Amino acid sequence: MGVEFEPRIVGFLCNWCSYAGADMAGTSRISYPPNLRVIRVPCSGRVDPILIVKSFQMGADGVLVAGCHPGDCHYAEGNYYARRRFAMLRPFLEYLGIEGDRFRVEWVSASEGRKFSEVVSSFTNQLTELGPRATGAAV
Amino acid sequence: MSQIENVHTKARELLESQAVDCVIGFGKGTTGGSRPLFVYGPEGVEDLIFDETCAHNLAKYLLNRKGKTTAVVLKACDARAVNLLLSEHQIERDKVYMIGVVCPGIKENGEPRDTCLRCGQRTPVSYDYLAGEPEEATVDAELQYKGVAEMEAMSMAERKAFWEAQFDRCIRCYACRQVCPGCYCDECFVERLDPLWVGIRIAPSENEMWNAMRAFHLTGRCIGCDQCERVCPVGIPLSLLNRKLEKEVYETFGYEAGMDPEAAPPFATYKKEESLGFGE
Amino acid sequence: MSKFISRKDLLSWLEGVSSEKDLVAPVQVEGRLLFRRTGDVSEIVLDYTNTDLSPREFFFPATETLFTVDKSNGRAELEPTRVERDTVIFGMRPCDAKGMAALALPYLQDPADSLFAQHRERTAIVGLSCLKACPECFCTSMGTGPDDAANVDILLTEAADGYMVEVMTDKGKALMPDSLLSEAKADKPAPAQVPLVPAEGISARLREAFDDIYWSRLADRCLHCNVCSYVCPTCYCFDIRDYSEKGGAVRVRTWESCQSPGFTKAAGGHNPRADKGTRLRQRFAHKLLYYPEEFGTSHCTGCGRCVKACPVNIDIREIIGDVQKLGKAN
Repeated sequence: MGVEFEPRIVGFLCNWCSYAGADMAGTSRISYPPNLRVIRVPCSGRVDPILIVKSFQMGADGVLVAGCHPGDCHYAEGNYYARRRFAMLRPFLEYLGIEGDRFRVEWVSASEGRKFSEVVSSFTNQLTELGPRATGAAV
Repeated sequence: MSQIENVHTKARELLESQAVDCVIGFGKGTTGGSRPLFVYGPEGVEDLIFDETCAHNLAKYLLNRKGKTTAVVLKACDARAVNLLLSEHQIERDKVYMIGVVCPGIKENGEPRDTCLRCGQRTPVSYDYLAGEPEEATVDAELQYKGVAEMEAMSMAERKAFWEAQFDRCIRCYACRQVCPGCYCDECFVERLDPLWVGIRIAPSENEMWNAMRAFHLTGRCIGCDQCERVCPVGIPLSLLNRKLEKEVYETFGYEAGMDPEAAPPFATYKKEESLGFGE
Repeated sequence: MSKFISRKDLLSWLEGVSSEKDLVAPVQVEGRLLFRRTGDVSEIVLDYTNTDLSPREFFFPATETLFTVDKSNGRAELEPTRVERDTVIFGMRPCDAKGMAALALPYLQDPADSLFAQHRERTAIVGLSCLKACPECFCTSMGTGPDDAANVDILLTEAADGYMVEVMTDKGKALMPDSLLSEAKADKPAPAQVPLVPAEGISARLREAFDDIYWSRLADRCLHCNVCSYVCPTCYCFDIRDYSEKGGAVRVRTWESCQSPGFTKAAGGHNPRADKGTRLRQRFAHKLLYYPEEFGTSHCTGCGRCVKACPVNIDIREIIGDVQKLGKAN
């Protein structure tokens, strides 16, 4: 094993808070690992669980969903619905044999550039420890 | 009068008075069991039967009769399916006449179905007319999550291997979906071409995607009739997926699908102050 | 006089076959009896009526790559899939053997399907005649029978301590040389008694009953799953899709069923068989009318799998009986 394992993370970031938080990290010159592939979504409530399962099926080592803190949703309640779905999805992934630690949900506001960087760093480290996920490629 | 005579009398009365256009019940099949029977006039009501072979969940057929008045013979689990469809505004209460029957527990090849051993509900939770004498439920809590607990006790790798072996047999006939009263999307995600959620290949990765998402779409909606498992031609234990989610929903939200048509399903509502393990 | 092979010799012969070729035989998989590739002769089930799925997947796989496009050299190179291995299917019932022959008629019609032709070429069928019938069987009404040797390379019939052997083709002869066989000392056991279905003249009756309300009433009950067509030995419809993959693309063919709503859906959304009654009728009309008209033989082999597997007891035997009456009534 010459090459160190670099986990591939798919990140669904809510437009109003977490995507802006990632921007904040950038403009504040706070660095974080390049393992995250960002997909901007209007709201964490838009993240259909199928997007997460599909990400894993297509070979993601980890999936991050980040949205506004509960109570701060731009659409008032999107993240409240979202967290109910994710709360059911996580044990279900475990049940199917996908480590729950590969799926992370975080609340990151537009001003929390530092927190965003910490989330991506710690998630990357965690996934590096877990190692690659064996999958078959399929579309 | 016996339960089935009551069903005949009620069905005849509903059809003669034209209160409904059709009664959906059970009739005699050709292979020693029963099958769904659609009765369109009073002359056909005598063909209705009810016994321990009447495994089908007839609530599914209400989805094909939207806007038409229909009476339907319902066991305990089937009545929960009607409640599910009512709570999701798929059918109209005043178009459906619920003929409840007291369920003896369904048998398959002479043996009680596992589902029925777990359920123990004899009398439907909802009905317009009950054809039999109500019986107390005899729910055995220990049986409730039998199989699920064993799965949870396995290691991650064992579970992965288990499901891979199960899904490997899947031929993607979609009988599990077609029979499910909770599956009624105009276009199922598995048949969407753009985005292509699930490829057409009948192969492990696609099969896993299909089976996982089919079950997850029923989170907080599965009423536990296990029709999916009954019809699977290759014997995939689909109930193990559904009941895992049923368990999570019950433990987290205290909700059971189809018990009350007025109660909000767990994904259709929320509480601001609830801690679901995401750093709240 | 028939030939004979002892059970012991048969098993060691199978052992030998499995070391050289892919051996496919009925095995138990989680409570279902399925044809599977196996290297372990001891797991082969010899005492069974029929498998839960037909053996058609070894001629027409549920999913198969037709060709691969390789673009790694800067040019697009098309590589058709080749069937590399010889397969021996052991224990196929005569109804299924008839089914494989029925698959071949459309697939080998000019222009022949190259993959199907390769599968057929490289596969030998060792049939096992039926001494007992399933309750759902009706093969003798569908142009075959429990001891029909017409579509197999070798037909075995279980007898005391072994099997009667009828080697039907050169392929069969090469597979099971005469040296393994002895003269049979007893007569061949009587084949299974199979219930009859009134199938005489069904094609014409079906045409007469084409627009009957019968089909939509029958479809009331139908769930429109694909079980009947996927357990069927002779259903041959497919879907095709291209997938891009790293460095190229693949074209994939998979099973498809006339019962699924999207089957006949055309670009623009038009669906000539949008309602359930016409879809259901299609299945039976194809089996008993269109295919016989085109190929001169029944497209149903009477294996009874659809009867057994249908979740709502849509029974082709009953439909044949009903349609006979409907046709006459008109």
